[in-house]
Amino acid sequence: MPSFVHRRIMLRLAAGAAVMAVVMPGLAVGQAAADQDPAAQLIQQTAARVIELIKTRTGEAREAGIRQVLESDFDLDYMGRSALGVHWNQATPEQRKRFLKAAASAEAHAYAERFGRYGGQTLTVGRVTKRSNGVSIVDSKLNQSDGEPIAIQWEVRNTGQGPRIVDVKIEGVSMVMTRRSDFNSYIQNHDGKVEPLIDELEARAKR
Amino acid sequence: MGKGSSKGKAARVRRSALAAVAAMALAGGCAIRDTGSAEVWDPLEVPNRFIFSINQAVDTIAIRPVSVLYRDWMPKPAQRSVHHAVENLGEPVTAINDAVQGNAHQAATSMARFLVNSTLGVAGLFDVASSFGLKKSDNDAGQTIGYYAGVEPENGGFYLVLPLIGPSNARDAVGLVADAAIDPFGLAIYNLSSSTAYWIYAGTRYGVTVLDTRVRTMTALDDLQRNSLDYYAALRSAYTQRRAEQIRQKKEKTDTRAELERRDNLALVR
Repeated sequence: MPSFVHRRIMLRLAAGAAVMAVVMPGLAVGQAAADQDPAAQLIQQTAARVIELIKTRTGEAREAGIRQVLESDFDLDYMGRSALGVHWNQATPEQRKRFLKAAASAEAHAYAERFGRYGGQTLTVGRVTKRSNGVSIVDSKLNQSDGEPIAIQWEVRNTGQGPRIVDVKIEGVSMVMTRRSDFNSYIQNHDGKVEPLIDELEARAKR
Repeated sequence: MGKGSSKGKAARVRRSALAAVAAMALAGGCAIRDTGSAEVWDPLEVPNRFIFSINQAVDTIAIRPVSVLYRDWMPKPAQRSVHHAVENLGEPVTAINDAVQGNAHQAATSMARFLVNSTLGVAGLFDVASSFGLKKSDNDAGQTIGYYAGVEPENGGFYLVLPLIGPSNARDAVGLVADAAIDPFGLAIYNLSSSTAYWIYAGTRYGVTVLDTRVRTMTALDDLQRNSLDYYAALRSAYTQRRAEQIRQKKEKTDTRAELERRDNLALVR
């Protein structure tokens, strides 16, 4: 009897130890992986650069600096094409070029404005979820001085030139999806043609 | 005879194939409107846009200027207190919705928040409960309906723009009515006092909520308006996504809890 009990206890301890041995390194690797994951690193770098810009520059210089960060860390062309959705297929190559240029400019302006409103909150980068098609989702929290932290999700894609941000979801609202609905509605209200959209974007870019 | 019937059969197969292709082409005609992401179903777009433009006019003329004054002149602690008081009034309904969704723990937390903030937090003016670790839940009847509906959270029925309230949909509009109907304060005032007193209560509370909400959403809505070509469509999309996210979180919370319960139960079984 005692030997049976002894063996069962030993087996259970061994099983527990085995589980721990598997899980613990997994936890440690998970943590380290999160720290070293290129997607999470990208977000942290972007946030750091933007904070630096906010602190050191103002006005025109700040906007130019933020635009640089956007062009290097965001894939504005991919975002523009994503926002056009199925209408991309009916656009001529000339229209596509014009659209990408105008949309990228509008997008950069919008993000520069949003980053410009940044007022010393901290961004805590959290978990990274890898999807199958080379896309990573990085969870983060923007901690505010008054109120609940805002949940921001960054979608990072591996392009030819390294990881780039392709979408920002603020509290579940995707900037690209909202833009896609916006463009789609505009196109449908203008006879399903892409040209008026491009004209409007170019006019806004000039403002 | 055999040949004839087989020829007839072949002809029939060809015709039905043609019919199938034609049907798909017709259905595919709808696909021309498919942008690769399901658009919000908006069969009432024309009346919605009309009400939207009225809402925008009222906002520009009345609500926004008052909100800006409130935001800039009311001391920040006072603004926070107003916000907490309004949120506190809504905690009982939140707790009921937590309970109906099967989240007993959060329901208890919400009730505890209400009790703590109403007493220690001086009628809800101070959010003492959060410093006790009692987490706030943003729950409402619209989310409860979405929780139990067997469809994806993005599907809230047809899109609606309600006068003064703004973006909504079939599901959330029913939720608003349901929440108003079960509000304990409203019921108490209506039954113990008079219907006039109820409307005064409802009107005041709603007015303060509008002010508070307008101030809190001003940056986001301004951003959306400035950067969109069709503000109506952008707001419709943003609203639908936000509600879907809230409902999805409630559903995922259940799955996580169910998983943890399962593991707890497994641990009990030797």
